[in-house]
Amino acid sequence: MARTTTKDAQALIQSFRSAYAATPTNLKIIDIYVIFAISTALIQVVYMAIVGSFPFNSFLSGVLSCVGTAVLAVCLRIQVNKENKEFKDLPPERAFADFVLSNLVLHLVIMNFLG
Amino acid sequence: MAKLLIFMTLVSLLPLLSCSFSSENPTDRRILVLLDDFAIKSSHSIFFKSLQTQGFELDFKLADDPKLTLQRYGQYLYDGMILFSPTIERFGGVLDLAAILDFVDSGHDLIVSADASASDLIRDIATECGVEFDEDPAAMVIDHTSYAVSETEGDHTLIASDDFIQSDAILGKKIMEAPVLFQGVGHTLNPANGLVLKVLSASPSAFSANPKSKLSTPPSLTGSAISLVSVVQARNNARILISGSLSLFSNRLLRSGVQKAGSSIRLERSGNEQFVTELSKWVFHERGHLKAVNVRHHKVGETDEPAIYRINDVVEYSVEMYEWSGTSWVPYIADDVQMQFYMMSPYVLKTLSTDQKGHYFSSFKVPDVYGVFQFKVEYNRLGYTSLSLSKQIPVRPFKHNEYERFITTAFPYYGASFSTMAGFFIFTIVYLYNK
Repeated sequence: MARTTTKDAQALIQSFRSAYAATPTNLKIIDIYVIFAISTALIQVVYMAIVGSFPFNSFLSGVLSCVGTAVLAVCLRIQVNKENKEFKDLPPERAFADFVLSNLVLHLVIMNFLG
Repeated sequence: MAKLLIFMTLVSLLPLLSCSFSSENPTDRRILVLLDDFAIKSSHSIFFKSLQTQGFELDFKLADDPKLTLQRYGQYLYDGMILFSPTIERFGGVLDLAAILDFVDSGHDLIVSADASASDLIRDIATECGVEFDEDPAAMVIDHTSYAVSETEGDHTLIASDDFIQSDAILGKKIMEAPVLFQGVGHTLNPANGLVLKVLSASPSAFSANPKSKLSTPPSLTGSAISLVSVVQARNNARILISGSLSLFSNRLLRSGVQKAGSSIRLERSGNEQFVTELSKWVFHERGHLKAVNVRHHKVGETDEPAIYRINDVVEYSVEMYEWSGTSWVPYIADDVQMQFYMMSPYVLKTLSTDQKGHYFSSFKVPDVYGVFQFKVEYNRLGYTSLSLSKQIPVRPFKHNEYERFITTAFPYYGASFSTMAGFFIFTIVYLYNK
């Protein structure tokens, strides 16, 4: 039984890898960016758990910047993905412009809240 | 011209009239002495003479004098009262139990003496002050091992006692040279009462019973629980002396020699004179009266008193304490004055250091709690007036601009935010210029 589950997991990972190789490059770039942002957020949470939440506003600001920009990147990925029927008529430039403006607002808020 | 001169000198003497009992001079001045009859005035003349030489003005009246009054136009006429009328059933004039208690409640001092046949009125006054006399009206304190040896008194009601309270303030710095002769009724104190003190206690072999009849039941008051002379210092610092014997103050016992049964030493003078003189000095506030003035607090390094402190400030508190020496205020020297920084419970409790000249000071750091605090000094020592000082001061937390500009523990968060911004910038370049 155990052997079949490991074999199943391996088969799952193989299929995922082969499917993922087919995604376009710009989506892969967005994915890397999201992973970078989320890992930075996780590092900050672990740090807060160790040290304590003394300047809580700074903690929130740091985590929010990471999580917020990850969310905005995910939105960009959804809107830019050609296989997504819902956003067929949305020009990708428009999606990218939304992404940039939202990020500007996000970082303005972050700088103010950082203390 | 001469008339003008006389007028001017008289007018300039007017301010001296206001120099009677005031807070600048806490010793009592005018004392009302109530007697059963004027024979007491002559039989206790040594005691009264010693009071008068100390500067008290004694006003002798009969206890049932119909013109007796303590107040006129709302002001008390006397600063202290001596009740040497143990058999009085009802006072004359407007005096009664309630009037005497009001007199004490307004801060004035009292000496009450009961005797072998004390009336109910005197017993009630004593009960209101916290002292219970023996219920049997004919009872006296009898002691078969600690009586005073004498040729005349054979029923051992004249006792010699040297069980004094240990207090320099109440009995003076000199130790009592001789035992004190006592002949009268005993009383007990309620052990739950913290304000009443036994100044002269009976020996463990004493008991309270009627000397003329046989004992049918064991006596109710026995041993050292019997107090012969007690004092009460009320919370408003009025002092009351309650004695079970009028002859304690009389010339006969003051002048007599004393020999305790069982000891062969016969002393020429009993300790009565020293005892009653020192005790009356204490009761009438000539000794043991403290005042605390000039309470100041400020931040270390500054001199003026701020209206509010911040947490983690270093604060210095100082107070000056003086003791009345009978004629002037001298600095009070002690090493156990404590100050609390108090909000519901003392956050800081410090013993104040002193420069041995009556100036007490200390510095401490305000705790990391904000709220409205009080600087409290509560000083209650045996024989001294109780001091209760408190000064309120609020404490605020840090203002926004009182933190460090960049907090060290938050550097990772600063770093994360800036790295996200840099990452975003790089991402846009890579995304746009990617083929």
